[in-house]
Amino acid sequence: MNNVSKLCIAALVSAGCATGAAADAVMAQKGMKADMVLLPKFLGILVFDQANTGAQEAHAELENPGELLFVGPTPENSVAGQIEIVTTAATQSRDAVMISNNSGDQIVPAAQAAKDAGAKVVTWDSPIPSGEAEDVFVAQVDFASIGEVMAEMAHSILGGEGQMAVLSATPDAANQNSWIAAMQDALKADMFSGIELVDIVYGDDQSEKSYDRALALVDKYPDLGVIMAPTTVGIQAASKAMQDEGLCDEVAVSGLGLPSEMLSYTLNGCATEFALWSFVDLGYLTYYTAYLMATGQIKGEIGESFVAGRMGEYTIEKDPTRENGLRVLMGPFTVYNASNIEAAAAE
Amino acid sequence: MNRWSIADLSPQALRLLALLAVMVLVILFFGTQIDRYYSTRMFNRVSTSVAIMALIATGQALVVLTRNIDLSVGSIVGFTAYAVGGVVTRFPDLNPAFAIGAAVLTGAAFGAFNGFFVAYARIPAIIVTLGTLALFRTFLVEYSGAKSIITADLPEWILSLPRTNLFSIGNLDIRLTFAVAVIVVVVVHLAVTRLRIGRKFYAVGSNPEAAVVAGIDSRRIVFLAFIACGALSGLAGFMFLSRFGNITVVAGLGFELKSVAAVVVGGVNIFGGSGTVIGAMLGAILVGLLDASLVRLQYMSEFWREAILGFLILAAVAIDSVFMRRLFAWRYARREKLQARLSAEGKAKGE
Repeated sequence: MNNVSKLCIAALVSAGCATGAAADAVMAQKGMKADMVLLPKFLGILVFDQANTGAQEAHAELENPGELLFVGPTPENSVAGQIEIVTTAATQSRDAVMISNNSGDQIVPAAQAAKDAGAKVVTWDSPIPSGEAEDVFVAQVDFASIGEVMAEMAHSILGGEGQMAVLSATPDAANQNSWIAAMQDALKADMFSGIELVDIVYGDDQSEKSYDRALALVDKYPDLGVIMAPTTVGIQAASKAMQDEGLCDEVAVSGLGLPSEMLSYTLNGCATEFALWSFVDLGYLTYYTAYLMATGQIKGEIGESFVAGRMGEYTIEKDPTRENGLRVLMGPFTVYNASNIEAAAAE
Repeated sequence: MNRWSIADLSPQALRLLALLAVMVLVILFFGTQIDRYYSTRMFNRVSTSVAIMALIATGQALVVLTRNIDLSVGSIVGFTAYAVGGVVTRFPDLNPAFAIGAAVLTGAAFGAFNGFFVAYARIPAIIVTLGTLALFRTFLVEYSGAKSIITADLPEWILSLPRTNLFSIGNLDIRLTFAVAVIVVVVVHLAVTRLRIGRKFYAVGSNPEAAVVAGIDSRRIVFLAFIACGALSGLAGFMFLSRFGNITVVAGLGFELKSVAAVVVGGVNIFGGSGTVIGAMLGAILVGLLDASLVRLQYMSEFWREAILGFLILAAVAIDSVFMRRLFAWRYARREKLQARLSAEGKAKGE
């Protein structure tokens, strides 16, 4: 009883308790030990670094005496490297592994080994498609709604009618693929009947490849109106390509981008509108989820609610975008344009 | 006997001619497959993208000429692009000459690292550079601390570089970066073919033992080849920075395959000793042309493009070795026949 009231006082400071819904939501008990690993798709991409910032923030806040490691594979070795790191985490008996999965279902045996060794497997950013060997997926936003937002941005840029092409990351990136699929679904609505999706190409999250692919799209489809790039590397490379070739008036770039990286392109009209969520928050929420599960404070079952520090209350639910698997839905995301980008980029 | 025949040309010239013929065939083929293929845009695409690869291929050609190979070029390009990007982000008022010099020197230092192990520690180049391919990339990952170089932070002069036009012929833009690449290639070509030290590259590559007997310090030549390759990759890294702006740790990934393809397709013998730097540049243009064209083929899947590059390397080496062997055999036979006829005529006259 004493313990609980102490917890609620601590939580009163945060948003969660103040909503009054904290009655059955689990409040995190600080200071329990859990060794955790945060695994990005690969090292060297700004958004993953931001996720790490958020996770470190939560790590300090929860006073976890255990370790939080941020380790990732080198880019040319992403798939094999991820599998190796998860396998290592299993043998080192880590208490939680947080994965932004870039290896499709190939990660399953390694993740299963980690689970068998007693670790909680929490995916974030990009899930395990089959949901196997995964305890829960922390989804940045509802995948279907990303598809809708991309369709809507294309609609507003094209004025309701025109050709759109997609410039994605790698061909087997689970998150991008499901967003594109969701966008294709959304495009079936009557409202979007004037928009034609002409091509989907992959820049592998490499600047040079994405840049060349964007130019090839423009050459291939002379009537192309918008390039939709649901990746922060792709959207930037495509914007620079259009700017370098003086094509910003003909072809707009949109998709998912970081305000700090996109500022100049939004102001000069090459990428007037794009969306994103906070990766810092995503790392923070992922850490809370994994910490609570690893320390046994929540079990990882449908309907369980918990308070994730400054971000408030979340509930574990069935993931409607996959056949199997559970998710914690973060949301929402922000649409950026000339009116709000400067403030966001300054953050 | 002053009948001129194409077979009298040197193997080098023949290789270049064959390459040009292939290029024409490729262009004609894609012209039938792709709408609006013959456009000035296409020329601008290929020329601007080739500027970077031509420099790397030139460096690679120098190394291959000495019977070695440098697989670490992609990592050198990535590292210099990132490092110089970081420096100009922090000091935007830096003199451009200093930034470019820093890129070249950084590349040369990496090249010297490779060259030392190959030339003086006598470790096979493929092992050394396979190691440094991973090593230099890891340096980059560590050095970057998982942060990217962002276009918006770069000074304007770097960003406007790829857009700068030297001059235009009609709608054909000759961009500054392309012109610089061509000038560098021509200078290196002249140095290798005309200078005394340049000829030593060929000597070391075609017969290392004979080169040593002739008093050439072959280790020094190999060492220099790697330094030159590193320096050119460093310059390419700078161009990479200005063209793509956004530099992550994946910058330049896979350039080793493309550069080796350009060199081999460009007629430089993978066993050293023969080939030209100009050929390597033409090889780079052909690879760039295929890359830019295949992307536009409707039925070409993303996954096949790399495979075609691999096939091209195989085909170039195989055709070259078969063709050259035939050519020499045929020339030999012709000379024999000629001599036999001459001596028969001589006999007839004598009688």
